[in-house]
Amino acid sequence: MFHRNALLVLALALGTGAAAQAPARIRVDQYALPNGLKVQLVEDHSSQVVAVDLWYDVGARNEVRGRTGFAHLFEHMMFQGSAHLKKTEHSNLIERAGGQDNASTQYDITYYWEVLPSNRLNLALWLEAERMRSLAVTSENLKNQIETVKEERRLRVDNPPYGKAIWEGTLQAFDSVRCFSYGHSLIGSMNDLEAAKVEDVQAFFRQYYAPNNVTLTVVGDFQAAEAKRLIADYFGPIARQPAPPSVACEQPFNSGALRTRLTDAKATLPAVLLLYRVPPTSHADAPALDLLATILGQGESSRLNRVLARETKAALATQALMNPFGPRRGPGMLFALGIANQGVAIDSVEKLLAVEVERVATEGVTEAEVTKAKNQFRATKVNERQQAFAFAEAVQYAALYLGSPDAVNTDLDRYLRVTAADLKRVAATYLRRENSLTITVVPEAK
Amino acid sequence: MRPTMPRLALATALRAALAPTGAATLATLATLATTATLATTAATLEAQQFPTAPPAAGPIKPAPFPPFLEATLGNGLRLIVVENHKLPVLSVSLAFAAGGRYDPPGKPGTADLVAALVTKGAGSRDADGVAAAIEGVGGALTAGADADFLTLSANVLSGDAALAFELMADAAIRPAFAEKEVELSRTQALSALQLEQSQPDAIASRFFAKALYGEHPYGRRADPASVKAITRDDLVAFQRARLKPSGALLVLAGDITLARAKTLAERAMGAWAGTAAPAAAPSAPPVRSAAEIVLVHRPGSVQSNILAGNLTWAPTDARAYAATLANKVLGGGGDSRLFTILREQKGWTYGAYSRLARFRGVGYFQASAEVRTEVTDSSLVELLAQLRRIRDEPIPAKEFDDAKSALVGRFPLQVETAAQVASQVSTARLLGLPNDYVQTYRQKLAAVTVAAARSAATAAVRPDQALIVVVGDGAKVYEKLKAVAPVRIVAPDGAALTAEDLTVKTAALDLAWDRLVARTDSFTILAQGNPLGFQRSTLEQADGGWKYTEDVQISTFVQQHTEVRFTAKLEMQSVLQTGKQMGQDTKIDVTYSGGRAKGTAATPQPQGGIKTITVDAELPAGAVDDNLVSVILPALKWTSGAKFTVSAFQSGKGTATAIAIAVSGEESVKVPAGTFDAWKADVTGGEQPLTVWIEKGGAHRLLKLAFPGQPVEMQRVK
Repeated sequence: MFHRNALLVLALALGTGAAAQAPARIRVDQYALPNGLKVQLVEDHSSQVVAVDLWYDVGARNEVRGRTGFAHLFEHMMFQGSAHLKKTEHSNLIERAGGQDNASTQYDITYYWEVLPSNRLNLALWLEAERMRSLAVTSENLKNQIETVKEERRLRVDNPPYGKAIWEGTLQAFDSVRCFSYGHSLIGSMNDLEAAKVEDVQAFFRQYYAPNNVTLTVVGDFQAAEAKRLIADYFGPIARQPAPPSVACEQPFNSGALRTRLTDAKATLPAVLLLYRVPPTSHADAPALDLLATILGQGESSRLNRVLARETKAALATQALMNPFGPRRGPGMLFALGIANQGVAIDSVEKLLAVEVERVATEGVTEAEVTKAKNQFRATKVNERQQAFAFAEAVQYAALYLGSPDAVNTDLDRYLRVTAADLKRVAATYLRRENSLTITVVPEAK
Repeated sequence: MRPTMPRLALATALRAALAPTGAATLATLATLATTATLATTAATLEAQQFPTAPPAAGPIKPAPFPPFLEATLGNGLRLIVVENHKLPVLSVSLAFAAGGRYDPPGKPGTADLVAALVTKGAGSRDADGVAAAIEGVGGALTAGADADFLTLSANVLSGDAALAFELMADAAIRPAFAEKEVELSRTQALSALQLEQSQPDAIASRFFAKALYGEHPYGRRADPASVKAITRDDLVAFQRARLKPSGALLVLAGDITLARAKTLAERAMGAWAGTAAPAAAPSAPPVRSAAEIVLVHRPGSVQSNILAGNLTWAPTDARAYAATLANKVLGGGGDSRLFTILREQKGWTYGAYSRLARFRGVGYFQASAEVRTEVTDSSLVELLAQLRRIRDEPIPAKEFDDAKSALVGRFPLQVETAAQVASQVSTARLLGLPNDYVQTYRQKLAAVTVAAARSAATAAVRPDQALIVVVGDGAKVYEKLKAVAPVRIVAPDGAALTAEDLTVKTAALDLAWDRLVARTDSFTILAQGNPLGFQRSTLEQADGGWKYTEDVQISTFVQQHTEVRFTAKLEMQSVLQTGKQMGQDTKIDVTYSGGRAKGTAATPQPQGGIKTITVDAELPAGAVDDNLVSVILPALKWTSGAKFTVSAFQSGKGTATAIAIAVSGEESVKVPAGTFDAWKADVTGGEQPLTVWIEKGGAHRLLKLAFPGQPVEMQRVK
């Protein structure tokens, strides 16, 4: 009787037909070219779309002191022309084919992607091979793109309220000497970029933008035989380069509570960020930490929103996030943010935030919260299969952080296995005062 | 740069900080340098095998659309199901003819508020309960209203279909409209409107809609007064009258069968009955026979926002496909004429675009550009020239084919997800488009000819009868705009202005000179009630005239020392200001002589950094250095309802402006120096609007200064 009731409760809690709610297993066709280029293919003929997604194993983590900002600079340089393409022609060609393209720099990787109607797969592959083999790294392009990066810094970091706190304040959690990789700004120092010589930049490209340092994933409506032929023809002749140096980071966790205070000319209300160091994305505790961030601060029914925004009205808005700069093979961050309501002192917001975060470590979470967070991850994992590009990213993520692209089939299971006890333990392990950085942001008086 | 991150649902501040960037496209077009590439020798040998040009497209595959399965419930609710069982996802859309056009007279914004509130508590659940229910299953529930329709949407895993129906039915049939939630939504709507008032693109859009549509409901927009006037009874009445099953459209896309959809719909909504009244016949929009410019004057604007357009047709018009193609060439993206010419070639703007807007009724064409003030007229002239060109010249083959390829090509990307499918199907049906619109869209577009595109452009794009809205600094652009088309000048609040209103008043100030006396003042500067710094100033006689010295310190981040010298008759002589802001040096060094201001100014820019400019400008008669406004305040003749205009020279910007001071009331104010009865006055026309409190008694000292909307203020200490 008890047994049956428990099962019924569980079934109801997880929604009817829980088994039916898991997506079908996907087989990833994976291989490597002789020059080291890793390829991952997933055919899916349910729509007439194909996504081409390249993850270069280079990001801010690979930069050294005095040469920061190179990884992000390259995200821009890659659109500035090559042997057979003029500046911006890459994006124009994709647009004319009805596609979309973009790129992004993180600490661990830089990725480039295109989504196109299926009859244009050859265009995306040609464009990616073209810039990998013959990108124009010239003084003129370098100078132009440094200006563009400065403009972007203004747009992303300086202009939006709380930009500095997020892009730069959070770095103070990482040891800038022993973990320089994750302890310097993703956008880099403008001084370093201005001092960059074109020879240094060319050397960086040669070392990191080599076929043996890339994983190419294609998802969607294509034929494997044709895709393989195109990949071999376009990318095969590009020569491999020596493997880049490995990255080291030593980061103590519980070294004592840190505090910092920033003023912000763009903010009209003060805010507080409570940041905690967390282990790398591949760590066994990572799924529990993701669930914890959701329970604490995602959505209207999250703890922070209910207590700080709706009940006490201390905060205008709250949020908890894991790794806003992307997953990583080094230490990461979980942070809780509260923006104070008009007339509320930031100290009280900080206190309320800290109390709610630490409450999880002492009191744990409810079964309803665990179920909700798991359901949200389940929905995310299912929904990402609706779009070729989103799924390509999931396959790339599984390959780099979970050990194999096939892990895209088992990623959800890691979340579903987490228990309330795990969440309490993980909160007690990482969400500790002595592992924290508190950033207070105050509007700058004019 | 775009960091990958989990789903966010939150304050725009954080979203803006973490928003993705597009591909780097800010550099101007230039030919590729012929300097060496990085290909190694091995790759160079192989180069002849690598195609030197992009490969040609393969044949377009047909994009089969699943059939629409349709049914109508007994209560008139129409149901469309588009089945796709690949993944266990379901998207549900429930739309009503309940958009802004149905707002009660004098209360625009009602439909928006109803949409904001129906998901904030309904049936047995309050707002927290609804959020917990939908978030508990990892789903999403949203509602929104446009001019024609109010739409509820739910996205869930298909196993939770029953819950989605329950929540949507509750929201539509029995929303709670709890007082607390009504007031919260009202506050949010008012905050959004207040923010809009500082955004020139939103201002332009509002004026465009109103002037283009006149008394037609599509011209209406909510404003603070109307949002404050809407009562809970209005919201309930709107929902009861307009959210009815007959006339509504329920669309489901994803993992569900028609049979199951009907069962769930019957269970959740079968007992619901009623028909919403049809729309009243709208007033006809004004007919335009000539181009007209509406100039919305925002003094000090460094940019002008331009909108130019005209009415078009109903969405079922057969010319729509051809017009879409012509519009793509003209201004439909980064590869279009407006963008390429105005941005890439001339460098006048960050972006110039055009679009065709659709409503259930008559839609419109609109071209837009945000340009630097100095090139406002040139930009408008070029923009209008391009509008003429798309009508007068057939589109060359390559441009035409590229545009067609882009529009036809992108369609599969627009129907990848269940939510996209539900939205496309719903929109097509609500706009009265043929049943096979979605399925035949690509082929109809592919069949458009150059001649048809030109003919459609002639009907859709009419520069000679265009309504042109320009939001910018009228003083700088009015004269040149007059040469383009007749100009009507208005203030952002809609009040009519004349050309004289644009120029800075040079009338002498009517001052009580006996209140211009030597003194020392001291203020504390507070942020959120916490002391952050101080301002100390001294006015003393020097060299036969006056010397005003001011020192400001804000935390460790701002220090400023200012000295202004002027004669006994308030004629300006010089200003010297030095300081540090966030570690960077600022300086203003300007001399006033012979009716001119000359010098240099290095001041912080809104987008960061310090910019140095040369100042060499006419000093209007009677103008004072803007640092002296606080010196003059005590000497004004304060009474109830008083209004003053002070001509001020902004030495940091090198331009003159008219500062308007208007008494808005009186109240008691408590500052460290004591408690006083004070005049409260609004000060506008400077860098930022201010509110000041002036001692009613004797010396009319400045007691307090605040910045509306910001938690920073200055209070008198002594």
